[in-house]
Amino acid sequence: MAERVFITGVGMITAIGDDVVGNLHSLRSQHSGLGYTEYIDTIYRQVLPVAEVKHPSESLFALAGVPVKDGYTRTTLLGLIAMREALQHAGIEEVQSVPTGFINASTVGGMCDTEKVYFDIIDPEKNGAFLQYIDTLDCADCTQRIADVVGFSEHIATISTACSSSANALMFGARMIRQGMLPRVVCGGTEALTRFTLNGFNSLKNVDKQFCRPFDQQRTGLNLGEGAAYLVLESESFAKANNSRILAELSGYCNTNEAFHPTSPSPDGDGAYEAMKTALAMSGHSLEQVEYINVHGTATLNNDVSEGKALERLFGDKVPLFSSTKPFTGHTLAAAGAIEAIYSILAIQHGLIFPNLNFSEKMEELSITPVTQLLEGYPVNNVISNSFGFGGNNASLVISKYEG
Amino acid sequence: MKGKCYIQGMAAISPQPTFEGDIFQAPLVHTDSNLLACIEPDYKPFIPGNSLRRMTRTLKMGLTAALKCIQDSGISTPGPIITGTGKGSLQDTEKFIKEIVEYKETALNPTPFIQSTYNSVNGLIALQQKCTAYNNTFVHRGFSFENALLDSIMMIQEGASHTLTGAFEEITKEHFYIKSRIGCWKSTSVNSQEVYQHLSPGTIAGEGATFFTLTGAATPQSYAAISGFRMLYKPSEEKLATALRDFSEGADLIICGRNGDSNHEHYYEVLDACFPGVPQLPFKHLCGEYDTAGAFGLWLGARILRAQQLPASWFPMQEQLTAPVHSILFYNHFFGEQHVMLRLERV
Repeated sequence: MAERVFITGVGMITAIGDDVVGNLHSLRSQHSGLGYTEYIDTIYRQVLPVAEVKHPSESLFALAGVPVKDGYTRTTLLGLIAMREALQHAGIEEVQSVPTGFINASTVGGMCDTEKVYFDIIDPEKNGAFLQYIDTLDCADCTQRIADVVGFSEHIATISTACSSSANALMFGARMIRQGMLPRVVCGGTEALTRFTLNGFNSLKNVDKQFCRPFDQQRTGLNLGEGAAYLVLESESFAKANNSRILAELSGYCNTNEAFHPTSPSPDGDGAYEAMKTALAMSGHSLEQVEYINVHGTATLNNDVSEGKALERLFGDKVPLFSSTKPFTGHTLAAAGAIEAIYSILAIQHGLIFPNLNFSEKMEELSITPVTQLLEGYPVNNVISNSFGFGGNNASLVISKYEG
Repeated sequence: MKGKCYIQGMAAISPQPTFEGDIFQAPLVHTDSNLLACIEPDYKPFIPGNSLRRMTRTLKMGLTAALKCIQDSGISTPGPIITGTGKGSLQDTEKFIKEIVEYKETALNPTPFIQSTYNSVNGLIALQQKCTAYNNTFVHRGFSFENALLDSIMMIQEGASHTLTGAFEEITKEHFYIKSRIGCWKSTSVNSQEVYQHLSPGTIAGEGATFFTLTGAATPQSYAAISGFRMLYKPSEEKLATALRDFSEGADLIICGRNGDSNHEHYYEVLDACFPGVPQLPFKHLCGEYDTAGAFGLWLGARILRAQQLPASWFPMQEQLTAPVHSILFYNHFFGEQHVMLRLERV
């Protein structure tokens, strides 16, 4: 019998807060992080909204607790800030005190910084400190720098499955624990805004010039965001022996591929349906026991139809309360799964259902609508958190209240 | 690592003629350009022409190696697809970075952006195979393929009958230049077949796409069993020596990732000291150095185990096997950071 996997620490930074408390405060006060970029060099600066972390990279060094140094990208710094909070929250002073893995997620690594110096890097006439950024071109760079600063040495990995990356990181870490390979694994993802990604999504014509409107009939696309989030996962036996404070249980998960189209989901949401259904079955909970779904809800035309259809197919006329928190944080790609997993824990801990901002008109394809007002004092025991990505990569997590 | 898994099918696109034909009769391809590029196969039997035109090199190599591996395994039922790649499609990443500037961020073609996504090869394989099972992509330098392998072994432990597990990497001219700026490659031209004799800073670059079908049960066609597996991140020499000794008692052949790079040769000297007298086959003169070269090394070991012979032209320095090989120790590291050891056994 595989062990249960508990969440014993969380840490995050997003456009709506530098830590978990800050995020909770903004969610409660319905304060969105969407605005216009201060830090990306793009012609869309005043055109395409983004949810940017409100600090220049230079100030992030202090928050991350490292001296200012070339080679530390914004991706790494955001990750370090969230990592330090997660470890502290879990009461971990020395990560090597017990074998601890680190499973990170990233979609474009240090592109935020390398895109600024790329043309110097490939120019033989140019020389300078920018050469320090050559290794930051890949996704492992941020993982290793974070690992080296805080001292992970046991098992490290980086996952990149587009928008489902950190949900898959959580799943991989949980599976390592269930297989008895490690008692503790820290999982999550980090993502910094880049001109590369902004132009990528814009070339696909799915970025909204207004603040994004998930599950709204008039939605026209997503807004990108940035941030990082990590969750400390522990095996039941370790958490109990260690007297860890248990925040919630990662009770179910599923990764499935839709095999439909390189960038679009199927209109009936086959992948989303399968991922949610299988994850819930693994958790041992019934459809009726799910009180809240933190949907992927990017506000692209295709995602919301597909995900909405999947919800209707799975839950029939009893679809639980659901909302997309992307109008708060933007779509943070590799970090989204971990950020929204933490929001799911906050929903359970504080009895909250977060509103789906910017919704006004029901989609004609669906009979369901998201929650639009903050609900407080609402008992939440089980949450499904969805992350769906390019390449047909679908991931659903079930996060459950810890009953002791 | 608990239990064993078995290699039921394999395919490799590499700088050597590994994709088809008899490798035991194959010549040794070598270069003095410090860059071993893949011999690309005819993709048409694998990929329809209209798709082929849109796809860049990494996607074609990755997808084709995966499809050939499925053919070789004789297992056509789709299962989990798990890959590793350090850099993904560099050609697409480079193209999109440049087009953003060239077209001043307007009217951009999204294809290079889509194809630069690290999981695009996985998505393509799933799409082609109508495979809705588990799908994951690891992107961690010298642990990319190895984490994919770990994930696959875990999948098999959890009940999957088989997995499609692979790695792919390309080296572009531009990326070769970029990496030369931080001393990854040798500064003078070296004949690839003599790379081990030229012990100096840097090595030679390479690339490849290698796929495996892994199963939980052996069959008469199985190439080899993977019975041990360990990854070490930035270990001290002492920690490495202890791990190597604990790991592979009784190996009668060693396959190692030695590459003539004097900056990191000392780790291979630890290996030499741990296993004096056990014959060693280095493989980087065949494939060059890249994030997922370990997958090629595993492919080579499995071929040798099943055939019980060496590709003679590839190892002129080594005499033919005099005794049966039952157990191979594989050890590789990537620029001294990610260290991997695998134990392969004859089935």
